[in-house]
Amino acid sequence: MKNIEEELWNYLDGLGSEQERERISHLIATDKAYQQQYEELLSFNNELESIELDAPPMAFTYNVMETIRTEEASKPLKAAIDNRIIKGIALFFIVSILALVGMALATTNWNSVTTGGLKMPADLHLPSLKNIFNNTALKGFVFFDTVLALYLFDGYLRRRKPVGDM
Amino acid sequence: MQSKLTDIELIEQTLAGNQSAYADLVKRHQRFVFTLALRFTKTREDAEEVAQDCFIKAYRSLQSFSGNSKFTTWLYSIVYTTAMTFLRKKRLDTSSIDDESNLIQVENRNAAFENNMAENKSRSYYVNQAIEQLMPDDAMIITLFYKGEQSLEEIAMALGIEPNNVKVKLFRARQRLKEKLERNLKHEVNELI
Repeated sequence: MKNIEEELWNYLDGLGSEQERERISHLIATDKAYQQQYEELLSFNNELESIELDAPPMAFTYNVMETIRTEEASKPLKAAIDNRIIKGIALFFIVSILALVGMALATTNWNSVTTGGLKMPADLHLPSLKNIFNNTALKGFVFFDTVLALYLFDGYLRRRKPVGDM
Repeated sequence: MQSKLTDIELIEQTLAGNQSAYADLVKRHQRFVFTLALRFTKTREDAEEVAQDCFIKAYRSLQSFSGNSKFTTWLYSIVYTTAMTFLRKKRLDTSSIDDESNLIQVENRNAAFENNMAENKSRSYYVNQAIEQLMPDDAMIITLFYKGEQSLEEIAMALGIEPNNVKVKLFRARQRLKEKLERNLKHEVNELI
């Protein structure tokens, strides 16, 4: 059960169904208690509507824009470069590589390959895989790579900003 | 002179690299954001810092503004979170409630109140004074509802609560404000007698 004040605030705020609003309107017109409280709340409501906003210092906008400009200027080059430029450079390299591969394929004498023109040296021996993986230098290299990968991954996780921060 | 473009148009221009469009947005909303910040911080210096921080955060995240809600609703949610963070930090920095600086602040407030007694002040002055004495949440809801052109649903979105909760909070905030206003005016009348 709502009290008079709550009903009147809903009425003043324009809340509630049409029926409810008509009922309150009728009560204000006929009931002295409703009428008195309505007038009091209406006057209070008007006062709240007329409150004035505080003004920040004159240089507020300038200070905000200056901070933004300083931040923009100190952005790392990587972030400041337009993505389209990076994509353009990538496209140039891809086209160049494809053109080189195409040229290489076009100038290859395929007949010499099928007729056995490509001969491997007789004394060519591939190194044993077992020997490679037993090599201490290789183990060290793999260990170094693993540590480096973990370090970079940690750096990436630290840099990542939480999503939905605002 | 303020721009006649809408908030959305100004945002589009800002995202296209026009920083002066963002300056127009700041000019348009600075008074309201500053007032909201002041409801929390209670001092103009801190309010300026919080308000400035809000506009910078909004600029940084402007790309994430989807346009599903009003820009102001989105901006006020930033004000709310920034001001809350500021208050939490401030509470951590403050060692005790009855330390020297708080005493000085209370004394200054009382002195200011007494000094203003003789002046003939408008009723809106007392309303503003009573709002200042409210809890930040209450003061913010009242300001958003009456001066921010925000509906209950939009306030709910800005504060991250249910619209029904906003309705209840607004009702209670107005009750508390009315009580404070009556008490302040009574105090003033007694002083004059």
